Amino acid sequence: MNRFNLLLLVVLLIATAIALFPIYWMVITSLKVSSEIFSYPPVFIPLKITLNNYYAQGTYYGALSQTAVGSIPWVINSFIASIGASAIGTILIGAPAAYGLVRYIRNIWLSRLILFMMMIPESAFMLPYFLMISKAGWINTWWGLIAVYLSLTAPMSTWLLMGFFNDLPKSVEEAAQIDGLSTFNIFARISMPMAAPGIAVAFMINFMNIWNEMLYALVLTYSPFPSGAQTAPLFLTGFIVIEKSFAWGGLAAAGTFVLIPSLIVGLVAEKYLVKGWTLGAVKG
Amino acid sequence: MSEVVLENLTKKFGSFVAIDNISLRIEPHEFFVLLGPSGSGKSTLLRLIAGLEQPTSGLIYIDGKVVNSLPPKERDIAMVFQNYALYPHFTVYDNIALPLKVRGQSKSQIDAKVRDVASMLHIEDLLQKKPGQLSGGQQQRVALARALVRDPKLFLLDEPLSNLDAKLRVEARAFLKELQERLGVTTIYVTHDQSEAMSMATRIAVLNKGKVMQIADPFSIYRRPANMFTAGFIGSPSMNFIEGALKKDGEWSFVAGGLRVELPGLSFSSERRAIMGFRPEHIRIADEGIEATVSLVEPMGSIIYLHLNLGGFEVIAQHAGERKIKEGDKVKVRLDPESLLFYDAESGDLVS
Repeated sequence: MNRFNLLLLVVLLIATAIALFPIYWMVITSLKVSSEIFSYPPVFIPLKITLNNYYAQGTYYGALSQTAVGSIPWVINSFIASIGASAIGTILIGAPAAYGLVRYIRNIWLSRLILFMMMIPESAFMLPYFLMISKAGWINTWWGLIAVYLSLTAPMSTWLLMGFFNDLPKSVEEAAQIDGLSTFNIFARISMPMAAPGIAVAFMINFMNIWNEMLYALVLTYSPFPSGAQTAPLFLTGFIVIEKSFAWGGLAAAGTFVLIPSLIVGLVAEKYLVKGWTLGAVKG
Repeated sequence: MSEVVLENLTKKFGSFVAIDNISLRIEPHEFFVLLGPSGSGKSTLLRLIAGLEQPTSGLIYIDGKVVNSLPPKERDIAMVFQNYALYPHFTVYDNIALPLKVRGQSKSQIDAKVRDVASMLHIEDLLQKKPGQLSGGQQQRVALARALVRDPKLFLLDEPLSNLDAKLRVEARAFLKELQERLGVTTIYVTHDQSEAMSMATRIAVLNKGKVMQIADPFSIYRRPANMFTAGFIGSPSMNFIEGALKKDGEWSFVAGGLRVELPGLSFSSERRAIMGFRPEHIRIADEGIEATVSLVEPMGSIIYLHLNLGGFEVIAQHAGERKIKEGDKVKVRLDPESLLFYDAESGDLVS
């Protein structure tokens, strides 16, 4: 190993530590007794481990009611909104839009416009979206959330997938054209599967964005499943202040609990990331 | 078995003229090679015939029918791409079966045809593999199988051998030629490699800058190149060129600087500035003849290339090696008047 590789390794270790430390801190805090949570200097390796925090109650609109395990109704809403908005935004809107822009329209300003749209802060749209969704009668519903979240997922996927479709070998599509496939079938049966790694990346980024989204959910929803569509980030806020003090242990436990589904989605998507389909399409 | 006719075909990309008013006719059963350097328009011409590009003007006929407005799938052609362009997420079987499935053939029909073409190309064992698991030579056979399985009217190949290593390329060349002769399907083959063109073609069209420089059988292309471009492009090492003039002084002769070549038995319409061309194998070391100095000796195994200074001109001679020759030696050489070619100094066309 030469000096440069060693340097790279050190940088990589530091980057990994920075990325993982908050998660580590959250998980151990969820397992600490309260004296260790508040002790100074901080405790990096807890001496006593407890699951009590997972049974601590958070407030829900002033009433002490929910434990970390009780987050399931909110997690269900998050899951449906995230999967729905990511799947529709990536597969039904982003991929065809990106393919069209790359292969047929080729207008640089149209693609720039998509990028500009992503730069506008979410809070600018908060009020218009609230008005639109309430006019549609979709407040506190999955449809309302998914419709608004598409405004985040569709441009993100389109922007990301343009690069992937652009990198696909054009000759494979031409071979399909000569073999007799229709334009739609070339897209659906040839180009989409070849862009699978890109679609997995776009899906995962969108899923994580929506899973953690709070602003729109705060404005558009007010009650958990089954009566409403309130999502997990709002559930977590219920732990911040309980009886005029911060419930750090409960919050950490709930946060850990809410992290699990997004980890599972990440692992499933990773399978497609590692094994790119384009392998072996063309030579040279 | 089809014929292809191109009539005043032109293709422009913006202001760049890729194909410049080409007219030609490809006979049924022919192995027709489009040969040219990169940027000569040979691939564009193939793509026009395939329908992957639309001509700016001119007509394309396949079997007497204008196909300009037909999409590729309705032209009943098959094409093999330089990079093979296999479907990476399909098995070899599905890659080959796809063109049949699209045309709505029955499962048993498809199965029989796929197995048939697979055995012809010796890829039966690979049918359940994915393209990524195959070697370059195997991928190339799969690409051929996918093209052949449909019994196309016309078989288009775009530099199909250029991604194979040298040994495999020679094997594939013989295999392709034999296959084409057996099936008799009209084939248009694009390459920049003259040895591929020479070894496989019924006829070769030499292209340069979007224009046809010459169409002829490989032997004529090599022996009597119609212009300076073809003469210089075909043959390795290239033909030797010496610029001078054709003079008549009783008998005709070629004069360039201090060099004078008598041309007994030849006659030309008029005296003119001309370029004399001759291939390395047409200049012989002899006991009598023009004096030359050996500047470099290049042994190639079976033969030796001698770089000679011939009256101030650098030329290459092919030498069988029966006589030991060193750099710096003075030798005498003979040029066989029968094998000399003369090109007009201005137009570059063959003077006969």
